[in-house]
Order: sequence, then C-alpha cells, then structure tokens
Amino acid sequence: MASVTQIFRNRCSLLTRNFIRTLADDSRVTQVPVIEEISETHTERDTIIVDKHEQLSPVSGVPEEHVRTRRIRIYMPAKNAMQSGTFGLNKWRMDFDTRERWENPLMGWASTGDPLSNTHLEFNSKDAAVNFCEKNGWECYVDEPKKTAFKVKSYGANFSWNKKTRVSTK
Amino acid sequence: MLRLWPLAPRWSSTAPPETLEVFVDDKSVQACADAGVEIPRFCYHERLSIAGNCRMCLVEVEKSPKPIASCAMPVMKGMKIKTDSPMTRKAREGVMEFLLMNHPLDCPICDQGGECDLQDQSMAFGSDRSRFTDMEHGGKRAVEDKNVGPLIKTIMTRCIHCTRCIRFASEIAGVDDLGTTGRGGDMQVGTYVEKMFKSELSGNIIDLCPVGALTSKPYAFTARPWETSNIVVSTRTGEVFRILPRTNEEVNEEWISDATRFAYDGLKRQRLTAPFIVSVPGDKIAGLAGGLVDAEALVALKDYLNRLGSEALCTEEIFPMDGAGTDLRSNYLLNTGIQGVESADLILLTLGAAKNPMVVVGSSALQRGDGTSIHQAVATIAQNARVQSDCGEDWKVLNVLHRVASQVAALDIGYKAGVQCIRENPPSVLYMLGADEGAITRDQLPKDCFVIYQGHHGDRGAAMADVVLPGAAYTEKDATYVNTEGRAQYTKLAVSPPVMAREDWKIIRALSELSGNSLPYDRIQEVRERLYDVSPNLVQYGSAEDANYFKQANELSASIKGKLEDKPLTPTLLNLKDFYMTNSIGRASQTMAKCVKAVQEMD
Repeated sequence: MASVTQIFRNRCSLLTRNFIRTLADDSRVTQVPVIEEISETHTERDTIIVDKHEQLSPVSGVPEEHVRTRRIRIYMPAKNAMQSGTFGLNKWRMDFDTRERWENPLMGWASTGDPLSNTHLEFNSKDAAVNFCEKNGWECYVDEPKKTAFKVKSYGANFSWNKKTRVSTK
Repeated sequence: MLRLWPLAPRWSSTAPPETLEVFVDDKSVQACADAGVEIPRFCYHERLSIAGNCRMCLVEVEKSPKPIASCAMPVMKGMKIKTDSPMTRKAREGVMEFLLMNHPLDCPICDQGGECDLQDQSMAFGSDRSRFTDMEHGGKRAVEDKNVGPLIKTIMTRCIHCTRCIRFASEIAGVDDLGTTGRGGDMQVGTYVEKMFKSELSGNIIDLCPVGALTSKPYAFTARPWETSNIVVSTRTGEVFRILPRTNEEVNEEWISDATRFAYDGLKRQRLTAPFIVSVPGDKIAGLAGGLVDAEALVALKDYLNRLGSEALCTEEIFPMDGAGTDLRSNYLLNTGIQGVESADLILLTLGAAKNPMVVVGSSALQRGDGTSIHQAVATIAQNARVQSDCGEDWKVLNVLHRVASQVAALDIGYKAGVQCIRENPPSVLYMLGADEGAITRDQLPKDCFVIYQGHHGDRGAAMADVVLPGAAYTEKDATYVNTEGRAQYTKLAVSPPVMAREDWKIIRALSELSGNSLPYDRIQEVRERLYDVSPNLVQYGSAEDANYFKQANELSASIKGKLEDKPLTPTLLNLKDFYMTNSIGRASQTMAKCVKAVQEMD
C-alpha cells in the first residue's frame, strides 16, 4: 500500500486527486494517512463542479452535420410478434433516424455512409437516455410505451357453454 | 399475494419482488411475467384462450405433489411458485425432450431460425444431451405439408400441436377453418380437406406459430432476422423484406391484415422514380388527395394552393358535407375508439336495453347519392340510443369507420370530401396528390386541363397526368397519419425513397419556392409545428383526441332535406378477392395478385 501512496504523492493532479478520493472511500485503503498532504490548498473532500449543461459534442468527434441534423427516437421496444420472449423489453432504447443504405456491389451486403443509424444504445431509464442525447447535442423525442390490458381468461371456459369458446374446431 | 421461489432464477437479471399483488383470476404464468420471471410456454398466448396442451409452463407449487401447468392455474393467496426448482427444471427438460423427439433437426434451413421459441427454449431449458437413439430414422414423425394458399407456407413436420393457429382462426379471424385430426403421434393440424385458409387476417398465424411450421411464403429463404434492421419493417440493403405488426393495445393489439403484411413487394414495383413532364400549365388550380397521403404532405399542399389563391382542395373519398358535415369532428370519427369496442355491450342491432351502445357506420355506406340522409339517420339513431341508455356524456355512440389512411387527417386539415367541387368548377390545373382511385377521370376534366400527379406508384393517377413527381411510399418517410379514431400516429423512414423520389412535403416545398410562393417551413419539425397550428391533435402522437358536439351536429343535420333511397345498403367489399387490391401498392404487388387468383380459383 505504501508504494501506491508514493505514486499518488508524485502525480498530484486534479484527476488523481479524485481517484484518491474514491480509493479513500474504499474500506481497504482508508488507513492511508497521507491524503491530507496532497496539496496545501486542496483536501480530499474537494469536488469538481461541472457545468450543468455539459456539452460533449465539441469533443466527441461526431461531425457537426451529424449533430445538427439527426433526430433520435427514445422508446421501449415492443415485443417481437414472432416470439413470446420478453427479454430486453424493459430497457429504454435510442435509435437514430435511418439514412440511405444500398447493396454493396462487391458482396451484396448492405452498405451505408452513415455510422450512426446502425447504432443502438440502451438505458435503464428514459431520463438517462434523454440526458445522453442532450449532452451530445442531439434532438430527441420520447415514445411512451403502451400499457397492455389485463384480460380475464379461464381454462374452464373451454368446457362451459359459451359461444366464443364452444367451437367445433380444437 | 404470491411468492416466487427461489427469488432470483438463474436466467433473470433482476430479483423479482418477494410478494406480489395480482389480479383476481390472473393465471400463474401471467403473474410470474408481471413479477419479472418469464415462464417458458408454447401454447399459451396473451390474446387467445387457454389451451394448456404444450405442458412447457409446468412449475412446482409448494404443497402440490405434481408440477402444475401455470398457464391454466389461477393464482391463489399464499401460493408459492418455484420457478427454478429441480422439479420444475426436470419437468421442462422432459417436455423439451418429447417435443424435440418429434421435431426435425432442420434449423439451418428453417425460416423461423433466429426467432424460434422452440430454438430459444431448448437452449435455455432443454437438456444438454440427447437420448434419441433412432439413428436409422425408422420412427421419427413426419407429416405431409398442407397447401393453405399463396401466403402461408406450411412445413407440418415441424408442428408441435400448440393449437395457437386454430384458436386464432376461430377466436380472432372468426373462421373455423383450422382444426386437428387424429390423436397422439398421428395428430395433425390442418384444414381437414385441402383448401385455402380464407381470411383477410390469415398472415397472423405466421407470427403466432412458435416453431417454423407456418412461415411466410413470399419471405421464404430471403433473409434471417439478425441480418435485417428493425423488427417491424424488416429491411436490408434499402429493400423492405417483410412487415410485422407492432403491439399496440389501443389500436391493433398485435394483428395486421394480409394487405398490410404482404403487399410490401408492391413497394418495389411500378414505382415512379424520376420527374416526368409533358406540357405546360394554366392558372385555375385545384388539389385532389388520395388515400395513402400523410398529414405533412396534405398540409403542405393546402398551404401552397391557398397561397396560389385556390380553395379547391378535396379528397377522393366521399363523405357527406351537408349540415355540420365535416366541420364537427364527431361526425366523422370512430368516436368510441377501437379499444372501446370491447367495452361496448351492444353494437347497433337492437338498441332496447343497452348501457353502452355503439353505432358503427362504414364510410363507404355514406358514399351513395343519399349519403347525407344515411348519416343523418345513423346520427339520429345514435342520439336516441344515447338518451335511452343513459350512458352519460363520456360514452360516445356514433362511429364512422373509414377505409383509407389519409381521410381523417385530410378532413381535420380542412379538405373537402369528394370530388364534387372539381366537377362543378373544372380547374385548368389539377394537382393530384396520390389520387389513384380514379375518382376523377381525364374526360371529366376540360381538354386543356393540366394534370400534375405526385405519388409513389405508376397507377391510375400517373396515367392521366401531364407532370409526374415521384414521391415516397409510407415506408420511406417520416410521416403522420390519423386513424379512424382520430389518433395521430407516425411512421419512421425504414428505407430511403428510390432514385429521385423524395418525401412528399419536400416536393411541394420545392415547387412553392420555384413558383415564388415559398412555404415557411424547411424541416419536418417546422411542418409539424404548422400541423399543430392547424389542429394540435395532428401531432399529439399515440393519443386519440375526443370529439364532441354530437347533439349540435344532429340538430344541424336536421335542417337538411334529403330522402333515403329505396334500396338496401350493400358493402362494396363483399368478396375476399376484392380485399387485396384496394390501393396503388396492392395493385402493384404480385403477392396480392396471387391471392386474388387463388381466391378466384377456389370459388
């Protein structure tokens, strides 16, 4: 553990100080006594306050054209009608608008000049997805999922005198 | 209260709640799903009756000596369901083993591969080794394939007898065409005698089939689900490969009609891909909108023609315009809503003792010469039923069922229904926006009338036009449609429009700029803002905006002097063969042509 503290003491920047704080919160390293000595003006409890409207788009490397012109749909995927499984339907998903695709003459595979429309990202909550889009400067809209209604059904109805279930074909 | 045990099954990522409140009469399989534990099943389907014959949903219930089929077992107070106990797992493995023993090992050439419940569940719940010893292929079950028409391909050896298709046919489609013959290993699902499965909803049994016994004939061997993007409109290399329903409880539940599902090959044929000009225009302009046009294009065309000083904008579909006509939305909407049909206790027929009565009239019934009088009569019946039944102001009685996608949006935006105004004031320029039903023909127009057609198919409209402007079909644009309930819904672009075709509102926007009357919107959001200005419900996606003023509409219509004609109301779509080709896409589709032929041959 001593060697770790040594390294931290040598590289005292904002980033590493944050890192130390996380280490310091970890029970295994709380005994390290030297953290207060990192700098005279900063303590381990210092935080970096980031502007609330943080914009990643200037540094994310996404071309400006793809920031300004894209619209993103945030939704919960509907169940695939072909299957009864519901895996992955409880996540919020973001989709970019589709751009032109074409058949590649070499192999017949699908080609596109747009790296974003094949991207799907999943989030645990709607807000997280909206936040992500806002941070990246993309315009987005949210599709609220439809609730399914509960229908009363009974196995016994197969044998009761009921016009709907009493059918000639079984 | 229901307790699931153990709390975190091995395939579930989140721990389900320890206790759970459920509906009385809820089935265990559904209750477990609500708690986040998916119980495997083949025969159980949320929207069909309970069959209980696949046995895949067997679970151990505490204090029960044998495993229990959770699809048929109502939950009870204090019930403890063990969804991942050794007994449950063994039961599932046993069921899987029996199913696979009688199921061919042809996944590599099966179209269901990749979205097959049997494949997935044998991976998740089946045994990891086989006890199947019939290496000489002496006794493996094999069943002859059935021919049930041009849409559904059957490979009956793959059938696991879940009877979902049979239940769908009799409960949802309303035709008792499918059924089982034989018992045990000789049991077969089929139509008894070889015939076409004659239903306009037949394609849904392809989705329902948990294995590859029923697959799509037009889609056969064309794509795998993991190659295509988007599960609703599956596309690859800029082509639509298939169309599936999207679950929406309020609109279609999870069913679509065959014309929706299979007409997609019509999107690739007879397309207009380049502008085409014959002669030069005059100045008295009128607009005519067809049945597949989106709200964005409708509002753009109306704004453009209004700027050119013309108010003559109408739709091909006829609707009575006298009295309150289309000024009050309640006159032309399916006011109860589609979901409301299920809560209705009486639909037209006799209106004696109904509490929630519902009167439905098809828009085609209102297109006769005496359409106004029919509407008036129906509205009066509805109003009387409302008063008698004491159902209150919240329950809507009068309903109009429209048959084309664009009509409600067009009427909301302010188009006149029917081509009467064009016949009365022959224009020198006619702008046809996707108008393909032949409501107006070339010889009904002045000889020198200049006809512009904008649309996606080379159909009746393009045939009579001097200028053809290629537009986008519904899979190729972000667009808004308003359904018969008045519910705004939007489409997203799945593939881009072919060659030089463009989104429809953009074409009109470009024209307006060329003619020096620029429309004030450049982006789709701005068009939608304009739609919002016209009527906010047009962009409130997903929700149906209620209409009101039934009484006032009825009073206004009382002033009309009309007489009901002395002939019975006959629907225009009486035969299944007429169902397949009701728009320009259907008419361009080879699959739809095959359906028409198959029905004709059968009759």
